Amino acid sequence: MAASFASKCSRVGRSLLGGPGNNLSGLQSASNEVVGNNVWSQQRTFIQMRTVLKVVDNSGAKKVMCIQALKGKKGARLGDTIVASVKEAMPNGKVKKGKVVYGVVVRAAMQRGRCDGSEVKFDDNAVVLVDKQGQPIGTRVFGPVPHELRKKKHVKILTLAKHIA
Amino acid sequence: MRLEKCWFCSSTVYPGHGIQFVRNDAKIFRFCRSKCHKNFKMKRNPRKVKWTKAYRRLHGKDMTQDSTFEFERKRNRPERYDRNIAENTLKAIKKIAKIRSDRSSDHIKNRLKTGKIQRQKEARKQLEQDIHLVKAPLALAQDSSLRLPKIKVNVSQTQTEENQQMEE
Repeated sequence: MAASFASKCSRVGRSLLGGPGNNLSGLQSASNEVVGNNVWSQQRTFIQMRTVLKVVDNSGAKKVMCIQALKGKKGARLGDTIVASVKEAMPNGKVKKGKVVYGVVVRAAMQRGRCDGSEVKFDDNAVVLVDKQGQPIGTRVFGPVPHELRKKKHVKILTLAKHIA
Repeated sequence: MRLEKCWFCSSTVYPGHGIQFVRNDAKIFRFCRSKCHKNFKMKRNPRKVKWTKAYRRLHGKDMTQDSTFEFERKRNRPERYDRNIAENTLKAIKKIAKIRSDRSSDHIKNRLKTGKIQRQKEARKQLEQDIHLVKAPLALAQDSSLRLPKIKVNVSQTQTEENQQMEE
C-alpha cells in the first residue's frame, strides 16, 4: 500500500498532498467527480483537515468538516475516527451547527486494502458521529458500511447499519 | 474464500485481485482489473463492449444455455466439511470444466461452419475459373499433372434407361 501510494504521489504531485495549508486540494480530492471529459482518474486521497463529509446518521448534523484526523500522518481512512466541526445541521437535532464532534469514517472514496488482498472503495465520504467513548450519538445509520468497523471495535454502528458491504 | 465474477467482463476474480466498488444503494461491483474498472467509470455498457462475455452471450457468439452452467450457481449455504465429498468435488470440477470447454468450442465451430463451407466453395470456383491467371490453358491441357483429377462415376445401365424414360 505504501509503495502504490508513493507512485500515486509522484503522479499527482507533492502539492496535492499537503499539510493544513492546502485547502483547495483537500476539497478537490474529496469532492465528486467532474461530469464530462475528466477521463484522467480522480486520485482519491485521505480525509484531512478541511474535508467535508456527509453525516449518515440521525444525530441532526448534515455536513461536517474534518478538523483533525486522529491517528495517521497523512489523514484518516476508512474506519478511522476524526474530529470534526458541524457545518450544516437539521433545525432540531441533537447537535447544532458549529459544534465540535468526533466521527467515525464509514465510507471513503479512497480504496482501502482488505486482508484477503482485494480493495474496497465507496462512492462518497461519509461519517457517523460518535462521542468520546466511541458510542454513536444517533440511533440509525443510512447506507452501506464496511466490516472494517468490526476490527476497530465499532460494533454498535454495525448493528445499526442496514447493509454491511 | 469465494471466486467472484467481474461485473464488466465476467471473468473470475481470484482472491487478492481487483477492486470492489460499493455504491450508496449498497450494490457491489467487483472488477477483475483496472481495465474493467476504468470502463465502468466511463459508464460503458458491457453489453455493447465487444470483448466482454456479456456481449458475446447476447449476440450468440458464445454458448448460453448448458447444463454445465448449473454447477456454478451461487450457493449461500455453507456445506459441512466431508473429506470424500471435497475430494469428489475437486475431481468433478476438472471434468466439468473440460466438458464445458469442449461444448463451447463446438458451439463456436458450428457457428463458423457455414462461413467455412462458403469459402471452400468460392475457392473451388476460383480455381476452375481463374486458373488461366496462373498458367495458360493450352499448356494446362497438355500438362496432365496440373488438372484436377477426373473422378470416374460408374453409372448403372438400368438407371440411365429410367432417366431417359423420365426425360421423355
